[in-house]
Amino acid sequence: MLGKPGAVDLRPYTKLLEAIEAREPELRELDDAGLTEKATELGNAELPYERGDLVELCAVGREAARRTIGERPFDVQLLGVMALLDGHIAEMATGEGKTLAGAMAAAGFALRGQRVHVLSVNDYLARRDAEWMRPLYDLLGVAVDWIGEESTREERREAYSAEVTYASVSELGFDVLRDRMVTDVAEQVVPEPNIALIDEADSVLVDEARVPLVLAGAAESTEADVEMAELVRTLRPGIHYEIDDEGRNVQLTDAGIDAVEEKLGDVDLYDEDDTSVLPRVNLALHAQVLLQRDVHYVVRDGVVRLINESRGRIALLQRWPDGLQAAVEAKEKVDVSETGEVLDSITVQSLVLRYPTRCGMTGTAMAVADQLREFYELEVAVIPPNKPCVRVDEEGRLYATREEKEDALVSEAASVHETGRPILIGTQDVAESELLAKRLAGDGLECVVLNAKNDADEAAIIAEAGKFGAITVSTQMAGRGTDIRLGGSDMSDRDRVVEVGGLYVMGFGRYPSSRLDDQLRGRAGRQGDPGSSIFFVSVDDDLVMNNAPETRGYEAGADGEIADSGWREMVDHAQRVSENQLLDVHRNTWRYNQLIDVQRSVVLEQREEVLRNGLGDRQLAVDCEATHAELVEEVGAEEVARAARLITLYYLDRGWSEHNAFLAELREGIHLRFLGRRDPLDEFNRDAVPAFKGFLDEARARAAEAFSELEVADGRIDVAGVGVKRPSMTWTYMVHDHPFSSALETVVGKMKGQGRTGG
Amino acid sequence: MLGAFVRAFRTPDLRNKLLFTLFILTIFRLGSVIPAPGINSAAIREQMEAVQAADTSGIYALVNLFSGGALLQLAVFALGIMPYITASIIINLLTVVIPRLETLKKEGQAGQSKITQYTRYLTLALAILQSTSIVAMARTGQLFQGQIPVHTYMPNQDILTLVTIVFVMTAGTGIIMWFGELITERGVGNGMSLLIFTQVIAVFPSSIAGLWEEEETWLFTLICVAGLVLITGVVFMEQAQRRIPVQYAKRMVGRRMYGGSSTYIPLKVNQAGIIPVIFASSLLYLPQLAIGLMGEDSENRVVRFLQDYFVTGTHPVYMATFFFLIVGFAFFYVAITFNPAEVAENMKKYGGFIPGIRPGRPTAEYLDYVLTRLTTPGSLYLGLIALLPMIALGSAGASGGFPFGGTSILIMVGVGLDTVKQIESHLQQRNYEGFLR
Repeated sequence: MLGKPGAVDLRPYTKLLEAIEAREPELRELDDAGLTEKATELGNAELPYERGDLVELCAVGREAARRTIGERPFDVQLLGVMALLDGHIAEMATGEGKTLAGAMAAAGFALRGQRVHVLSVNDYLARRDAEWMRPLYDLLGVAVDWIGEESTREERREAYSAEVTYASVSELGFDVLRDRMVTDVAEQVVPEPNIALIDEADSVLVDEARVPLVLAGAAESTEADVEMAELVRTLRPGIHYEIDDEGRNVQLTDAGIDAVEEKLGDVDLYDEDDTSVLPRVNLALHAQVLLQRDVHYVVRDGVVRLINESRGRIALLQRWPDGLQAAVEAKEKVDVSETGEVLDSITVQSLVLRYPTRCGMTGTAMAVADQLREFYELEVAVIPPNKPCVRVDEEGRLYATREEKEDALVSEAASVHETGRPILIGTQDVAESELLAKRLAGDGLECVVLNAKNDADEAAIIAEAGKFGAITVSTQMAGRGTDIRLGGSDMSDRDRVVEVGGLYVMGFGRYPSSRLDDQLRGRAGRQGDPGSSIFFVSVDDDLVMNNAPETRGYEAGADGEIADSGWREMVDHAQRVSENQLLDVHRNTWRYNQLIDVQRSVVLEQREEVLRNGLGDRQLAVDCEATHAELVEEVGAEEVARAARLITLYYLDRGWSEHNAFLAELREGIHLRFLGRRDPLDEFNRDAVPAFKGFLDEARARAAEAFSELEVADGRIDVAGVGVKRPSMTWTYMVHDHPFSSALETVVGKMKGQGRTGG
Repeated sequence: MLGAFVRAFRTPDLRNKLLFTLFILTIFRLGSVIPAPGINSAAIREQMEAVQAADTSGIYALVNLFSGGALLQLAVFALGIMPYITASIIINLLTVVIPRLETLKKEGQAGQSKITQYTRYLTLALAILQSTSIVAMARTGQLFQGQIPVHTYMPNQDILTLVTIVFVMTAGTGIIMWFGELITERGVGNGMSLLIFTQVIAVFPSSIAGLWEEEETWLFTLICVAGLVLITGVVFMEQAQRRIPVQYAKRMVGRRMYGGSSTYIPLKVNQAGIIPVIFASSLLYLPQLAIGLMGEDSENRVVRFLQDYFVTGTHPVYMATFFFLIVGFAFFYVAITFNPAEVAENMKKYGGFIPGIRPGRPTAEYLDYVLTRLTTPGSLYLGLIALLPMIALGSAGASGGFPFGGTSILIMVGVGLDTVKQIESHLQQRNYEGFLR
């Protein structure tokens, strides 16, 4: 048990295992109340745990888990617990009991008076794990609760007041963002950050960290641009506009520009002085051409509602940003709703780095150990499996075309299925899953498809993927966090499945990173089970096409298989290139947000002062001395302080939102600076710093201006009368739902590529 | 501006970076004056002036410039960073030719570190080669054009001593390489560039002192003033850019209108940087090399022709060729690094446009037009700056050499500006204002 190079040394932990086991007989004699008492006694000291206390904690936790969950944690799980308590990322393979180890560690932190937030990838897992582990927490005397998308503000506040709170990363992030917008201290729900324990740490900290969470609020409504909607309806594809291959961008052709200019009556769309028409045309065109009714949105009761593409259901609190929503509404001839305006955003990095202590667990951490160290100052502890893994990872097969790959996969699946061996096929996305399932069904192979529409149902389905004769088609994320037990979730048929070789995992194309491949492979071979995995790749896979230097000139066999080892190496190379690009995106998000975080903290500090300590009132008493004194006389100091707070906060938030808009605009075109041999990031900072200069003074001046115009109605100050209002509702979008963002990242990537070849 | 420097030193981790960089540079300078074992550097120094008078534009002039005079003193760091630079250039060229290197390059960090490793090996190989040839030249007295008797500076010539010198100089190059990487990693600025920068300015004090001793006061003052004007001019030209405004019209952002001023394409007047000068100088070394190979006294007409026009750096034909090569390379470099059609296409795809100009071909044509108009004065400026020392030499006055050579000034200003910008960006990341516009 020496561990892998670059990983945390496990020896100090393994030394304790014997002592933990020695405590077992005595603890078994205790009744439940006695065990709870033992746990409570551990709370009489501060973190970190000393050796003796650590032994006691693990022993008590093990006994409590045995009684409540019905599982006696293995030695390796205890190693995981100890690594987590030390603030590391524990790499534990699928099926090794990460959830239990995480719960024991969370309880360990909580017993010492710390507040623990257990972050998971989705709401379903947050709820499931909290409910599943609740008896354990109860027995250890620790309060636990969870948060879901539908939780009300009250429920959230209550959940956060528990010692251990389970929540999905996005729910936590949005709560933090919403807390930054409150005008009354009593409305805040998220307590001071303390300890973050992150489940599926690689997915949360690396995959999700590439895009920030964004909170938008309703701003004033705009006019329906029916004129444009009508106009673009008359344009014809191919002649007047072109759509790019990915279906993400649409642009007018020269003929299209002529046609639009003529119809609008001799305007120059690209006029030097007035470019206000062009965005309207582009938005209308985007709404008309790229967004389709019943695919991207539905119209119900005269309201346009978005469909969350990755989940396939209506997203209640999501809207298109930057005028696109209004353009779609104009297209559908429904009433135009309020436009959205970005209030604030937060990256997963800054969300997680708020916590002084961070730890987590996942099945695949070593592959991203460098990133975890660079961005989160986290080390990885590689926990060995309880039973050695005997899964066979067969060499992948490479084909010339997608069709040949599919043929090969289907015929392989058919022959394996005959033996009754359960098969799990991993695909790249939902659409591919459905196509493949149709093909399988056509060949008489019945299968179940997971398409990430409902986390809870899918967890139940994937839990049965190990049944005799089952075929399951699934994307990478679907059902993550749920074990596939051989012979079904009750393991009733286990022997028969073991006999035919356990679960057979087939990858339909390699993923953009080898870590995701490993996640899929890890589905098989749980807890020393038999199993095997194989990947089917074709040269025209997106991964290969986009990242390999050469995609022609291979020699394929009659069935299209390419046996040349050089070409197999090419696939690995393409994957490494893609991993590198993903890392670049991650690093860019991080770098571009450094300065923004500094500026934001300046604003937040000021905001806290206004919110809690009446800074706004004091400032306005100085700036508008006469008005202030007058108002105090009329309605009393308390009412004036309230008005002053609301006005000051309003202009702080307003200013920040405007600054955000400026930064977004700056970021959009900053890659062009590369053409002048300047570093875009430096240029971004160079422009962003002066734009922020005088921010607080300006907000103060605007607040003073509004304050001096205040009027009193019925003994109360009418703040709405001077334009101060809260967004009537807020909604959220993650930036990958943002229709423009990927275009931006692509163009940055392209420009960089250009620079490299040129310079 | 001073305030910003003070702030740089008040920001703890930036201060550490700056001090670390200075510390490394100090050690580096120290190694450049410590003679290699078996060398009597005092003897060399005594005779140095005679040597410098004899050789003004020899093959090793540039190398000696880059080694900060360490080469002619046969110091521990005699080779300077030239081997590393040469190795980097070779590896960079090879990435275009060898597919395996190209694939490595695309794989990011892991691949890049492998390439770096190859560069290091090649550097050491080149260092052995160069130190051997320097030692060989020193032993025959050729290094100093026979001006200094060999036995005075290299009293002991047995094989062990020679091998030791080669060994020490090669190790010195290894250490310099490490220094450069340390600065890039933990200091401020690009390590390699800063090391060249240090060596280029290291010879300044001594050459100015030399001028002071040799020239009359008015001429000395004139030269210094001219130098300052020149540096200011170069800073000005290097910073000069034309900003072409670009707007993105795909969405409506907020309520405030920004007038599109935040986004622009900065086109530099000297878009090509110093590269054309280096290309042209290397190309013009070829005739000298050829003569060296064929022998100076050869009756061959080609050799005679080269001998007449291309060996003395002050010959009008040489100067004209140099000038036109630089102008040509400048245009060539801009043409291969900036493709207006591609940029226009890219902008069009993501909804960007130059106000007043239609996307697509009209944009490409406009960019091309602006670029040509910028590069014309830019390349002329580059050529003139590079010619300056030769003109100065040609005009009678400064026999001790004009210290403000074009290449040195371009390097000085270029690296200086880059480093200041780096310090600035560290400050800006903490929301402090920088000092350059």
